[in-house]
Amino acid sequence: MRDVIVFCQENLRRAAWVALLERQPGLSAVQAARTISDLKALPISEKQVSILVDLPGVDAELVAQLTTAVPGCGLLILVSDFEIAEAVSLLQAGATGLISRDAAVPELVQAIIAVGRGEIVLPPEMASRVMLALARGDVRPKPTIESLTDREQEVLSLLAQGLTNKDIAQSLFLSVRTIEAHLRNIYGKLDVNSRTEAVLWAVQHGYEP
Amino acid sequence: MIDGDMNETTHPTQIAVLGTLAEFHQDPLPYNLKSLVKLVADINPDLLCLDMTLEQWQQQDFSRLPEEYSQALLPLAAQTDIVVVPIGGDRVMPKASATGWRGGLITSLRKMLSWIQSGAPGPDAINQGWRHDVGNILYTFARLLAGKKTSQAYHAHIEQVSQAALDAAQNNPGNRILVVTNIQYCHHIRPRLREHSEIRVTSYREL
Repeated sequence: MRDVIVFCQENLRRAAWVALLERQPGLSAVQAARTISDLKALPISEKQVSILVDLPGVDAELVAQLTTAVPGCGLLILVSDFEIAEAVSLLQAGATGLISRDAAVPELVQAIIAVGRGEIVLPPEMASRVMLALARGDVRPKPTIESLTDREQEVLSLLAQGLTNKDIAQSLFLSVRTIEAHLRNIYGKLDVNSRTEAVLWAVQHGYEP
Repeated sequence: MIDGDMNETTHPTQIAVLGTLAEFHQDPLPYNLKSLVKLVADINPDLLCLDMTLEQWQQQDFSRLPEEYSQALLPLAAQTDIVVVPIGGDRVMPKASATGWRGGLITSLRKMLSWIQSGAPGPDAINQGWRHDVGNILYTFARLLAGKKTSQAYHAHIEQVSQAALDAAQNNPGNRILVVTNIQYCHHIRPRLREHSEIRVTSYREL
């Protein structure tokens, strides 16, 4: 029997998941969490636990946070469609498996049990392509804020506020040349090509403009 | 804080110390401040470390600063890419003072220092030749007359200024940094900076 936690922010959907999974053979102790704090507060048994993640637009950053919050648990992510780059990014961040929202219930239960055992769960037609992409290294994980150093985060924050390079430099008591070097590093890490793209990325990731 | 994630730079970090008799800002300066502006503008350092407190900088309160700072260097930095780094920490430059005959002697020494400045044709004159050497000697006598507390404050200020300049250098690898402070500190700051092999201490003319 496999313990399951449903991670979902919508109350009705979460309740529906619990009701559905409680009736499935092979699964037991179905619990639910709305936030990462809720998840941390749950009594997680010593045996391996599967976490079913049902959120719109799950990204690598969230998966990394979940992995940190509940290390050792299998993370099965529900996705609407499969993109190689996204799949690789989620797996690299700590996801154990991906399953389509169109999957049948027995298929879902099998996947939940498998990720609880630590197995990687991917649709067969996708698995080989993901492995190939990982082996070639031609898919880079989506950048996260954590990939930036503290100083780069400071620079990005000031950039998002619309400061010029000189203003950023003066605020941090760094030279304009040093700021330019930080910006080059930031662009590289965020995989963006311009100041505008970097600002957009920053705002999308919670920096105040 | 040292930035460990900066790209490797091929150029060494260079730092130079320019001395002034800046504490005599109440006295009229004999040389045109434009010559100081031109000197620093020609050097065009990436960072300009000035002996002022962080509070003075944050409040943009330059009224108590020497004219070299308030009338020349700060306006220059404001209209160029030169970034100002206040390196005075939380204390202003200590001045030698005493009561009685010691105080009288210190006043005389300061008059001599003021006289040295009044005859200086430009900023270079304070940094080389007899004006520079005599200025240093007069400051040393003044400190001796002022006593232990002033001497301790003097050395603490040297530590503060040197460490702040060092931090600026380490946070900005490969950059060119000009430290502008009173001439009495120059001889102490340079050797402290030279202790760090990643920094090249040079003359301000060669920066």
